[in-house]
Amino acid sequence: MRYKVLTVDDSKTVRIIVKKAFKPFDVEILEAANGVEGLAIAAKETPDLILLDVTMPVMDGVEMLTKLKSDAALKAIPVMMLTAEGGRDHVLKIAKIGVRDYLVKPFKEEVLIEKCSRVIDLKPVNEGPAKAKSIFDPADILIVEDKPAIVQQIQDGLKHTPWRMRGVSTQGEALDAVTKAPPDVIIVSLSLPEEAAFTLFRLIRTNVKTKYTPVFALVVKTETTQQQQAQTVGFSAIITKPIDMGELETKIAKAMNLDTSQRYYATEGTIMVMRLPEVCSPAVIAEAVTYLKPKFAEAVDSGINKIVIDIHQIKSLHMGIIKLLFQAMQTCRDLAMHFALVGNPQIISECKGFEDTRGWTFYDSLDEAKNNLGKGPAVSTPQMATVE
Amino acid sequence: MPAATQITEALIREYITRAVTDVFKTMIGREPKFSTTAPNQGGKSHPASNRPQVVGTVGFIGEANGLVYLHLDLEFARNCTKQLLGMTEAELDEAGDEVINDAIGELTNMTVGGFKNGLCDAGHPCKLTIPSILRGTNFSIEPISSAIRHVYHFDCEGHQVIADILMKQDE
Repeated sequence: MRYKVLTVDDSKTVRIIVKKAFKPFDVEILEAANGVEGLAIAAKETPDLILLDVTMPVMDGVEMLTKLKSDAALKAIPVMMLTAEGGRDHVLKIAKIGVRDYLVKPFKEEVLIEKCSRVIDLKPVNEGPAKAKSIFDPADILIVEDKPAIVQQIQDGLKHTPWRMRGVSTQGEALDAVTKAPPDVIIVSLSLPEEAAFTLFRLIRTNVKTKYTPVFALVVKTETTQQQQAQTVGFSAIITKPIDMGELETKIAKAMNLDTSQRYYATEGTIMVMRLPEVCSPAVIAEAVTYLKPKFAEAVDSGINKIVIDIHQIKSLHMGIIKLLFQAMQTCRDLAMHFALVGNPQIISECKGFEDTRGWTFYDSLDEAKNNLGKGPAVSTPQMATVE
Repeated sequence: MPAATQITEALIREYITRAVTDVFKTMIGREPKFSTTAPNQGGKSHPASNRPQVVGTVGFIGEANGLVYLHLDLEFARNCTKQLLGMTEAELDEAGDEVINDAIGELTNMTVGGFKNGLCDAGHPCKLTIPSILRGTNFSIEPISSAIRHVYHFDCEGHQVIADILMKQDE
């Protein structure tokens, strides 16, 4: 549901500032220049929040507020005063009529948003992947860890990604960093002193800018109590030390809702290449499977009917890989696509050891596979495992 | 209501300095510094400037009555408007003078609001009036004889902001 905020102020400047402040959020701003217009719009639109000035022509804010609160249909709408009238007696008088909050001009846009977010659940315009879209896009990762060696380990482990990784060692530094430029993902070590990680998590979640930012807990594998506590509190994911960098990368990509299909599927000219990495963990296999059918169908839809399945980087076969390859080949057959396999001597040798894979035929380079694709029958049916 | 404190010149200077500083720092991101108090001219007019001026005016009425004029030269008024509304030079040209008038009117409203809130809290409850704008070159503002005038100059990172306060004397 899109929230509606009504700003009632005779100053167009203030109405523009209010609109500007709410621009990053999924909110519709309604405008009125005095109390009469304000009441009419409130009755017609039933806004979720009214920002109300005091000194206005035609009908001032106090009169509008009084009328609003005496109307059974409108009195439940929360009102926040946004006015230069800030004398103590005046504020008390207005508070008695019934307002949710009182913000005295001059005001900072951040303060306005922070106060409004206590009344309505402000959501960013593009929820989820705010900046990054694919694994080739830059993203900001903030690591809150008081042990520089761990920060360095993460930076080294993910240096092949386009992500910018910054380490801070205290809760205060983290809050400064988060306020200045909200990151895409925050990794917080639970070993920070005095339960600072949990305090920081709560502060991150109450900040409207980082309310939906994924926050990972970094914790020693054996500290199960802390892991449970982190899950209960609502951390987006748990990363255990020693850190499995592949797992961390996958979880970050998932948290940012990145399109990771390019890791495994690429179009090269008139051919699609399906590539499996050196290490095929269960997470990698699951990710590749997720994209398999949509990517193959997408290729066919765009006029591509040749696929090279390249597994030459894999050191050793396991059942997960074999199942994935069977699924890929079956999908090719279903879509009447030509396909060829590229392997290495170790893989070819291992294939000969299994009944089901003994008949697979491999090329030993991508170029060779590309050159020979389509020369045979429309749907390849490998006969014998051979090194071409 | 708190017991009314006598409104001395020191108090007026304190309230207006705080108000001008708060408004320009919060809304424009610039920090004005109090520079001078204009010499007492016996209620005579504020010296005319040869540069185009935009002057915001807001009054306060109640147990303290008066008017505050906030003088900005046109160039600075344009800069403040761009900053306040996040506009470019071209956007401001397209929007026209009305937008500058409204922005300076609102800055004046906030400044006088801060000033009069000080008066209210010192036991002189009063309300703001609706802002208005004066524009022109080489003009002066003449007070009526019963008004006490206080003129304060502020340096805002190379630009001058003048707060010209006219307060009605107790009858």
